[in-house]
Amino acid sequence: MSDFDREGRGGRGGGGSKGAAGEKAGGRRTFFRRRRVCKFCVEKIDYISYKDVKLLAPFIPERGKIQPRRISGVCATHQRALQTAIKRARQIALVPYVTD
Amino acid sequence: MSTVRQYELVYITPPEITEEALADLHQQVVAVVDRFGGTIEKTENWGRRRLAYEINHQREGVYVLEVINGPGTMLAELDRRLRVVDQVVRHMLVRVDEDLAMAERARTRRKTAMAARRVRRGLPPEPTETELHRRREEDDDLDAGDMFRGGERGER
Repeated sequence: MSDFDREGRGGRGGGGSKGAAGEKAGGRRTFFRRRRVCKFCVEKIDYISYKDVKLLAPFIPERGKIQPRRISGVCATHQRALQTAIKRARQIALVPYVTD
Repeated sequence: MSTVRQYELVYITPPEITEEALADLHQQVVAVVDRFGGTIEKTENWGRRRLAYEINHQREGVYVLEVINGPGTMLAELDRRLRVVDQVVRHMLVRVDEDLAMAERARTRRKTAMAARRVRRGLPPEPTETELHRRREEDDDLDAGDMFRGGERGER
C-alpha cells in the first residue's frame, strides 16, 4: 500500500506508457505506477539547445512528432523550451519534421 | 549606436564542397559582420552530417556554426546574403543572448539558494569534496529503494 502513497502524483498519462508500468503487482492501479519527473529539472539543465540532438531525441518518437508532456512528464516551462529547441533543430535538418 | 547582441548562425552546404569554397563562405560572413562592427566569437565546423530529411535531393551536408556578436541590423544583411549564395542550401540565424542570460540567472539563483540553505543549517556555503562523494553514494542507495525510478530509466 505504501507504494501507492509514495507515488502521490503524476496519476494520469500512465495509460500510454508502453506496457512497462504494468509488471509489478497486477490490478488496475498499476497504470498509475509511473512516477513522472521532469528530466530537465532533475538534471538541472537550464538551457535546452537545438544543437544537442542527443538531448532532444528521447522526446521525438518514431513519427517525428513532439512528445506530449502528459507522456514524457516534462514540466510546462521546460516543455516550452523543448518545443522551440525541436522546432529550430527541424529547420536545419537535425531532426525530422515527419518520418513515415 | 545600436546594442550588441549575440546570435548563432548555422548553415549547411552540399557535402561535396571544397575547402576553399568553405573558407570563402566564411570570409563572406566575416566581411558582413565586420562591416556592421560585429565580432565572431567562435566558428565550429561540424563536418559532414546526415540530414534528417532531404534538401535538394541531398541526404548529407556540411554544417558550420558561427557565434556572432553584433547589432540587429546585421542580421537582415546576413540573412539576405546567405539566401543568395548557392553554396548554402539552408541557414538559420537565432538570437541566443537572452536565453543564455536566463539560463545563467537560473544557475546563479540555484547556487545562492543552495548556499543559503547550507548556511542556515550551519554548514559552509560550498559543499566540500568529501561531501560531494558521500552524496553520490547516498543517491545510489535512494535509487535502490525507489523502484519507480529504476523502471523509468530502464525504459528510455
